[in-house]
Amino acid sequence: MAHQGSFEIEGVVKESLPNTLFRVELTNGTLILCHLSGKMRVNFIKILPGDKVRVEMTPYDKAKGRIIYRFK
Amino acid sequence: MIALKTEEEIDIMRKGGKILAEVLREVIKNVKVGISELELDRMAEKLILEKGGESGFKKVEGYKHAICISTNDVVVHGIPTGYKLKEDDVVGIDCGVYYKGFHTDMAQTVRVKNEKLKVKNLDEVDKFLDAGEKAMWDGIKAAKAGQRVGNISKAIQKTIEGQGYSVVRSLIGHGVGKELHEDPEIPGFLDGSILRTPLLKEGMTIAIEAIYNMGKSDVIYSSDDGWTIKSEDGSLSGLFERTIVITRLGSEILT
Repeated sequence: MAHQGSFEIEGVVKESLPNTLFRVELTNGTLILCHLSGKMRVNFIKILPGDKVRVEMTPYDKAKGRIIYRFK
Repeated sequence: MIALKTEEEIDIMRKGGKILAEVLREVIKNVKVGISELELDRMAEKLILEKGGESGFKKVEGYKHAICISTNDVVVHGIPTGYKLKEDDVVGIDCGVYYKGFHTDMAQTVRVKNEKLKVKNLDEVDKFLDAGEKAMWDGIKAAKAGQRVGNISKAIQKTIEGQGYSVVRSLIGHGVGKELHEDPEIPGFLDGSILRTPLLKEGMTIAIEAIYNMGKSDVIYSSDDGWTIKSEDGSLSGLFERTIVITRLGSEILT
């Protein structure tokens, strides 16, 4: 059975929650819950509200995402 | 996390894959004018049980059939209905078998031929299907230990787009094993650098899929059954899939 692939989308961090969770507003207006990706944790990249980020999402759960890149 | 399979687990999948290959070939042989999609589904289910396996698709939450039948502009996940196949329908049959704890996945697309006429001049459709099958085999050839998923994607994309068709972007191949869909994701197109895609290792079992449309690559969810995905512009869609395992010498086809 075919599987739907994950896709990347950009957004702005609206607020930071405990345990490196963030509420991100995507370019299409929706607000989703995102966590920080492992690579960013290991490299100590900080995310603050107001940062523009790239988020990876799966079509199977439209309310969650993973932050994979922070734009300068 | 990409789960590497042990030799015994690969052996179980070999047996499951053999069952699936036999079942699918038998079902494809019965694709003729007048047979209904539900009959093919029941036939597949019966054959799987006879050979000692279980239907893998029935284990997917919300899905109650043994196969997915995707006719003409349906890309994937077509639910079998009472629709009787007509001549020149392009029918994609996707089937999965669950054997001793492991899934295998396989799909093939064929054109419904009229038994009575010997030669039918629909070269365009046959060329379309041949391109897809070749793309899948090219992808399988590119799958070796030490190569990356991106090499497989590049091979599939090159063959399909080289012939002027388009690769569907939202649907992908996948790892297969204890779950029907596992890591890694194996898209049919290359997006970015090959080095950013996962490395292929010995013991990985993956299902390589070539999913493509004659027209544009956009697809939409049709109707309200929540499953069927159709091509947006109504063009024909093809689907080819095999389950393989990466070995020291390259890859081995399990289905």
